[in-house]
Amino acid sequence: MSLFKMLTRILAIVGKELVSIVRRPGALISLILGPFLIMAIFGAGYGGYRRGLDTVVVLPPNSGLPTDAKTYQDVAGAGLTISQVTTDEAAAMDLLNRQAVDVVVVAPTDVQANLQAGKRSAIDVRVNLTDPVESTYAYFLAHGLEAAINRQIIEGAVDQAKGYAIDHGASGTNVYRIPANVIAAPTEVTIGNVAQSQPSVVQYFAPAVLALILQHLAVTLIALSVVREKNNGLFELFRISPITTAELVTGKLLAYGLFAGAVALLTITMLVIGFGVPMLAQPGWIALVVFLLIASSLGLGLLIAAVSDSEPQTVQLSLLVLLASVFFSGFVLAISEFSEPVRSMIYSLPVASGIRLLSDFMFRGGTVAVGQLWLLGGLAVGYIVGAWLLLRREMARA
Amino acid sequence: MAADLDPIEPTTTDAADRGSAIDRPAKPEISREPDISREPVAAWPSGSPAAAANSIPVPPDAAPAPGPPPDRARAAADLIVSMQAVTHRFDDRDVLIDITLAVPRGTILGVIGPSGAGKTTTIRMLTGAIAPTRGEVLVMGRPPTKFRRVDRERIGYMPQSFALYEDLTAGENIDFVASLFGMLWRRRRRRVREVLHIVDLWDVRGRQAGRLSGGMQRRLELACALVHEPELIILDEPTAGIDPLLRGAIWEELHRLRDAGRTLLVTTQYIGEADECDEVAMIVGGRIIALAPPDELRRLATDGDLLDIETASLYDGSTLMGTPGVRRVSQDGPRHFQVTVDDAGGSLPVVVEAIRSAGVEVASAREQRLSFDEIFAILVARSEEERPANGPAPDGDAGETRDEPSAETAA
Repeated sequence: MSLFKMLTRILAIVGKELVSIVRRPGALISLILGPFLIMAIFGAGYGGYRRGLDTVVVLPPNSGLPTDAKTYQDVAGAGLTISQVTTDEAAAMDLLNRQAVDVVVVAPTDVQANLQAGKRSAIDVRVNLTDPVESTYAYFLAHGLEAAINRQIIEGAVDQAKGYAIDHGASGTNVYRIPANVIAAPTEVTIGNVAQSQPSVVQYFAPAVLALILQHLAVTLIALSVVREKNNGLFELFRISPITTAELVTGKLLAYGLFAGAVALLTITMLVIGFGVPMLAQPGWIALVVFLLIASSLGLGLLIAAVSDSEPQTVQLSLLVLLASVFFSGFVLAISEFSEPVRSMIYSLPVASGIRLLSDFMFRGGTVAVGQLWLLGGLAVGYIVGAWLLLRREMARA
Repeated sequence: MAADLDPIEPTTTDAADRGSAIDRPAKPEISREPDISREPVAAWPSGSPAAAANSIPVPPDAAPAPGPPPDRARAAADLIVSMQAVTHRFDDRDVLIDITLAVPRGTILGVIGPSGAGKTTTIRMLTGAIAPTRGEVLVMGRPPTKFRRVDRERIGYMPQSFALYEDLTAGENIDFVASLFGMLWRRRRRRVREVLHIVDLWDVRGRQAGRLSGGMQRRLELACALVHEPELIILDEPTAGIDPLLRGAIWEELHRLRDAGRTLLVTTQYIGEADECDEVAMIVGGRIIALAPPDELRRLATDGDLLDIETASLYDGSTLMGTPGVRRVSQDGPRHFQVTVDDAGGSLPVVVEAIRSAGVEVASAREQRLSFDEIFAILVARSEEERPANGPAPDGDAGETRDEPSAETAA
């Protein structure tokens, strides 16, 4: 009989929470359609490649070098967009200072003479960037430019040397046996990707978006639900009624777990069918990761509710968790780029393991990071037990 | 005897005056101020159900037996709520001081006092939210801080502020609360229907609670407190902010529950509602200044029953002193005076006869029922006068606070 009563109490919480969710159509729309809208905008708008840096090439006066942009664009590659070739260095620098262009490349004078004199010529690359990532990228491109120019110079020198050799009686067959471009660049790279799937840029971010949405939804919904009850005096009713904190927490976990699970199922279906996201693992593995992610996120939400005094504070803490998740969880920056102990702290966010595991299972069909499955499970248990203890205390004082 | 007299306007200021009236010709008067501040107010006036429960008479020939006497044990078992010398100290101040009360089964105890008097603190102690610093609290024979599930299932509680789900309908809210108390589907369905009818919300059962009027929300909360048919119903200001008509309806329902054997503990700041209770605990500054049935409180305030007499001609009321049952006479006009008697029912004809025998016609004679506002004022004033002798006053507001330590931390 007491088991039936316990089930009745838990199901009452589940039913009440689900009815409350359904009665808020605005929240439903933003919660379910929101993720798809974000994905659609992301897919439509993100190319996956960096914009080329606007570049002006400054040639020395009367250098005899070609003045068409295409010649230099072929040398510079996709990273730099040669917008202008000029001999007016001051005008080019003015453009750079006004941030009208990103890079000014000043070609050296007397390259031939310097080479013959056994001296290096300096290619002056100037940038006007405050973003350290962009600056690093510009330096990287400058080095690429340097290598490309050197290769062209070597090719030119080799061709000149061949002519000189033939003029002085060398056999044409022997001289032309090694092409100049091979001499200038004797090696080249061929890349082979052995990964089980090669998703597009948009597809690659799909598991991260899914994990982030599930965590944010679970944390926010359950935290707000509990805090509302705390503030509306319902905890007093709970304290006086026979319901225990464990039953209350169980009911809420079930309700929001079911809801978040439904959202996850819908989202994954849309990602696979709508965006063609690879799904290499058995559905059971995906379900396990989603289950652990939702459970740990709900636990985190309960913990936030237990330490919050008001709805604004709950919203603020939920947004802080979202912000930390976007920055640290591998969504924007790779976790490996952070040093210890920050990296360990990052793994207290369910989404950090969630992104890694969902990506692995969806794109590779399995994971080598099995420990992160246990970590997610541990987070779920730890957060839920911690929240239960705190809420039990709260309910006793209600 | 009164059939030949014309009724005149009642002299009471109590709107709910139910005093008997006898109209007679007049007689001369005496002037004497009423004396209302003499004896201390007894915490356990004799004759009240609570007092009876606390001091059960033992027959002289009863043989002493080991353990509590059977009558006393039965009475103790019949006590639903018992607080013995309970003091609660919070933040270096006493918010409840030496509270002693008992609520027998099947009665309504009204805890009445101004805002901040300590009513909600008392309620929170009875529901186990806070533990007493000193003294003993028992609810259904068990300290509230040690309630088991079965104990909680026997209690219905209606908090002071609206504490239900605004996005659930009236019916869903009641069903939810019934489920919290472990009621299974069939019984729940029946009871939800019943209480919706009881509180007259059946027609709006499908309306979301947030869209109900304030009065309807209070009734909905009452329905939630009743749905699991609790033995003890604790209602924290159930009539606050409700129009008089609806208040009447709610009290009618509470009386019906009492008559059905339920025990009710009701706090209110409407002093006039004391009349609706079987027993009234008046609480001020964390102290119970009086605990008695409503009629007894009147007697406590005036040291007896009060007769309001108007004679047709001059009459010296002091000549009534010495008449059997007469305690005091207070003359406030040549033809008008109040007589304090032991018992209005028995003394009224005697007093009228005494005046007539002096050759003075009685224009009107009736029992004067002070309003509970007046009674409250008298008892508070008396309590203030007595306080220096009885101990220090509590430090300010007794605190209807929500920030008190929990039962577990207080314990």
